[in-house]
Amino acid sequence: MALTGRTALLAAVGSLPVGIWEPSLTGLLAVNVPLALACACDFTLAAPVRHLRLTRSGDTSARLGEQADVTLTITNPSRRLLRAHLRDAWPPSSWQPGTESAAARHRLTVPAGERRRITTRLRPTRRGDRQADRVTIRSYGPLGLFARQGTHRVPWTVRVLPPFTSRKHLPSKLARLRELDGRTSVLTRGEGTEFDSLRDYVPGDDTRSIDWRATARQTAVAVRTWRPERDRHILLVLDTGRTSAGRVGDAPRLDASMDAALLLAALASRAGDRVDLLAYDRRVRALVQGRAAGDVLPSLVNALATLEPELVETDSRGLTATALRTAPRRSLIVLLTTLDAAPVEEGLFPVLARLTQRHTVLLASVADPHIARMATARGDADAIYESAAAAQAQNERHRTAEQLRRHGVTVVDATPGELAPTLADAYLALKAAGRL
Amino acid sequence: MTTEATLPSTSASPTTRQVWTRTRGVLLGLVLLLVGAVVIAVIQSDARHGRLDPRSADPYGSRAVAELLADRGVSTRVVTTLDEARTAAGPDTTLLVSEPDLLTERQQTQLHAATDASGGRTILVAPGSWSVERLAPGVIADPATSLDSTLSPDCNLPAARRAGSADTGGIRYTALQVGADECYPSERLATLVRIPAASEGGDTVVIGAPDILFNDRLDEQGNASLALQLLGSRPHLVWYLPSLSDSTAAGTEGERGFLDLLPSGWLWGTLQLFIAAALAALWRARRLGPLVPENLPVAIRASETVEGRARLYRKANARDRAAAALRSTTRTRLASLVGVPVAQAHAPEALLPALSAHLHGDGQSLHALLFGPPPSDDAALITLADQLDALEREVRRP
Repeated sequence: MALTGRTALLAAVGSLPVGIWEPSLTGLLAVNVPLALACACDFTLAAPVRHLRLTRSGDTSARLGEQADVTLTITNPSRRLLRAHLRDAWPPSSWQPGTESAAARHRLTVPAGERRRITTRLRPTRRGDRQADRVTIRSYGPLGLFARQGTHRVPWTVRVLPPFTSRKHLPSKLARLRELDGRTSVLTRGEGTEFDSLRDYVPGDDTRSIDWRATARQTAVAVRTWRPERDRHILLVLDTGRTSAGRVGDAPRLDASMDAALLLAALASRAGDRVDLLAYDRRVRALVQGRAAGDVLPSLVNALATLEPELVETDSRGLTATALRTAPRRSLIVLLTTLDAAPVEEGLFPVLARLTQRHTVLLASVADPHIARMATARGDADAIYESAAAAQAQNERHRTAEQLRRHGVTVVDATPGELAPTLADAYLALKAAGRL
Repeated sequence: MTTEATLPSTSASPTTRQVWTRTRGVLLGLVLLLVGAVVIAVIQSDARHGRLDPRSADPYGSRAVAELLADRGVSTRVVTTLDEARTAAGPDTTLLVSEPDLLTERQQTQLHAATDASGGRTILVAPGSWSVERLAPGVIADPATSLDSTLSPDCNLPAARRAGSADTGGIRYTALQVGADECYPSERLATLVRIPAASEGGDTVVIGAPDILFNDRLDEQGNASLALQLLGSRPHLVWYLPSLSDSTAAGTEGERGFLDLLPSGWLWGTLQLFIAAALAALWRARRLGPLVPENLPVAIRASETVEGRARLYRKANARDRAAAALRSTTRTRLASLVGVPVAQAHAPEALLPALSAHLHGDGQSLHALLFGPPPSDDAALITLADQLDALEREVRRP
């Protein structure tokens, strides 16, 4: 049940006859009783909300920054015309701030026995699942004085996927990859290489790569060349602990890590490598394993969509154990975590040896451009102290990175915009060097 | 229509039956509460309902006295306002004031003025000390009440002598006036006082307790006799029950309020406007569905710890730390620029010669700049930072 502004207006206008002609209880009743009767009449003649039939259809997923259209079909089985206001309620982050009330509300007229469709356009501002809340319908009577109001629950979920903004880098990286595939043959034999071909020796080649048996069969000295092996195994490990919650710019570190992970996965699956993903803090948050090359990116995007940073300290021991279980054969383990001194020294260092023993480890960390700006601050004493603190932080990061490199870990430390291409470059470099 | 009929209902609003099921418990509770309140009120108020009212048959009412007086030809009239009481006062009338303490000061003065000159009898039932001095000047109430209820007359008042002992024990009085009768004393102070009025034939009787007038006490001791003699001395009895509705209590006679002066059209028109405002409030208050809750993500800036450290440096004036950090960073960068291994960047003997060779400059000032003592004040720290920047720019210049 709901009143309208018209009812209040009529009551206000009614104060004139009451005040001028009949200032008594009779006058008061003479105005208000007909008004109440009209309201009751309106209530009776309004189409009932309970008997409406609602169904949904439309988009079930959208990338962050794009829009999703969800259609609501309203069937009016009653014998009365439905004139209604409808609110299709979704969580607040389903719309840009400020546009919510306009986007969720609809005006609607459904003749008796017919049905109409309305479309709610969502523009989500955050990743994750958006679940439709209730649909509230206010059905007005013919006089517009009184309305029936009721709610319906019509469940629907729109999954908001990571934006994958770094996909713009994919063509250039793929070009590099093709170049690598066709041309590069390395002379050193490594674990991640396979035999490519024999060619003539040119001065400067490593003498250890001369194939004496082939040389014996022909007049010139021949060397063996190798090329990076295909079908390698890559495990992306996302640390979703507290260090991933810190915001760099406007988004958490985790979002930048995801973006980099997606670019690397796209690149590696084109390169013929197998990509798995593990998200972990104190337990497994997401695990994507053993997908075919064409399927890997959609399943990764789907798994990452609902991932949120947790405010807990990452359990590095558990993370290592799970990663080792997930990657039984020799693989490239890409750790997307932090370079902050304390978590790395206390958590990662003690267990790093178990990872580097069998696997190649690549550690990628999101640097904060704000700290870089702080480091160059000059002017007054406050700015200098800020600069000194930032310099201190950067020194510590460099020191940690240096220690990790000494353990044989490749370290990538870049700002959110740069992380994805830098990580892809590091992967290509490892691949070219045959270290996968 | 068949397809629509097969669609499941998605309505989340409660049906009338559900509303009834949900609210009936609460309604039952409310009804029980209301009934309980009424029952308790009836039981509690039963004792005091119609106290000293000549129409009430309750234990503490006084209908019995009124009936007995009617049998003896005395008419009883109940009045509730001071004006009625004052006009009723006369030589052939007994005026009984049942609760003199309920009257305001002004009313008491007016009442006394009326009764004193009337020549009739005035009976005051248990007036407190502040009312007795105005209603019966010359009589003083004692703050301590009597311990016993039943007392013997011990005086020359014929009515008291005939009645014998009665339940008059209550407030005790002293009469200062000559010719007053002091009866039923309790520890020398009387509980029934009769003083003659200024006019001829009139008198005022003050009783310390109302017990002799109660229905259920009337048949005890000499209560009935005393009551009938005191109340039945004149052919008319006016029983004054002071009430709150009495307009003389307010003391604002003749004044009219703001609302009385306003034309009624304005009043009723405003009332209608209030109704309209209430309807408007209801219209605006009804929401189109509730708010939708959502878990918010945590918002921690990653650079917060670094900013905190900067503020700590500032607060502690940690110029030595700040200078060390700035120098260390510059040394590391310079080392890579002039071709010194990063591991040796912080050793003066490795870095300084390479730097001097690169700059063709003065080794001493470089040593002071890169490895010197911490600056003594903030200005020196700012200068140091600027000099380090200048040095780096110079080295970078091709």
